[in-house]
Amino acid sequence: MSDFEIERVKSGIPGLDDLIEGGFPKGDIILVAGRAGTGKSILANQFLYKGATEYDEPGVLVTLEEPPHLIRRNMMRFGMDLAALEKEGKLSVVDLSPSKEVTPVKIGEYPSFDLSGLEAIILNHVNKIKAKRVVIDTLAILAYKFRSRDILREEFFKLTASITRTGATLLLTSEIPAQHDGLGVFDIEAFLASGVLVLYNEMISQQSRSRSIEVLKLRGSKHSSRIHSMRITDEGIRVWPAEISPGA
Amino acid sequence: MADKAESKDSPNKEEDDGPPIRVVLFKSDTCAFCPRAEEVLVETLEGFGAGLFELEIINVSKNPEAAEKYGVFALPTIMIGGVSVTGIPEPDMIMKMFLGAKVSAKRRASQ
Repeated sequence: MSDFEIERVKSGIPGLDDLIEGGFPKGDIILVAGRAGTGKSILANQFLYKGATEYDEPGVLVTLEEPPHLIRRNMMRFGMDLAALEKEGKLSVVDLSPSKEVTPVKIGEYPSFDLSGLEAIILNHVNKIKAKRVVIDTLAILAYKFRSRDILREEFFKLTASITRTGATLLLTSEIPAQHDGLGVFDIEAFLASGVLVLYNEMISQQSRSRSIEVLKLRGSKHSSRIHSMRITDEGIRVWPAEISPGA
Repeated sequence: MADKAESKDSPNKEEDDGPPIRVVLFKSDTCAFCPRAEEVLVETLEGFGAGLFELEIINVSKNPEAAEKYGVFALPTIMIGGVSVTGIPEPDMIMKMFLGAKVSAKRRASQ
């Protein structure tokens, strides 16, 4: 092995970087997959918040599902004031949630479209604040908005490549549907990403559940192959690198 | 028209037909399907005659804020009276959307 070291960005999740050689490879695509309620959005927003406040890395949050005012409210519970970061120009929120009143109702779709509009919108925000981190939460919602999944799959490759070409590290969240064995509704999410984290919230007895995290892959890194305990604390998500999940 | 960030046709309004229906085409510089969608849209609208519509073309490459405002990110998308169609549409679809918008506008005016 040579002494070459990959430049890394800190995840902002206490304990996680110990599992992945100190952080995510800079400019890579990281997928955070998990079923509903496993903490994907919290992890993604924490990645942006800590990046802006502790590592001087501005971030862009693209929300395709949850309205921004609810995200801001929910993150305030962990003492993470996203609105303050937006005012300081350290965070930019792209609101593409379905809650917008002016969004037209789509009544027709022909298999002859691309996502160049999404690319232009995101890059506009990235360039404005010179973002180093980008989160898209969540790709899965597009599966319900558009029928033409073959087009979406191809467009995802183009979209993610154009974002990482700016040098930004891209974190995608993907919801694993119930009774589904893959890592997302498109079954290509894991191919898009050079790193995959899977979050769990498994029932371990009749009375309790246990949260855990697994680094399924991370190209260019030696990473833990165990499933580690994870908790959602008052300060956000924390991982216990030395603790193996009781559900594992 | 294709090179303009935004263009508007505002022909003479005919009072009996009410206000012109606003038709918006979202396109981009890199979208391969957009030129054909624009052709289909313009050809179909020509059949309605001047004064009945107002066409606005938003080039998302040059004006991403406008597309973000409407939450439109798949291109081409045509928006007529609060409904939209994505991809190269059949002329019939544009006709239906246009007539639907016309009926809604008349209903609103009579209320």
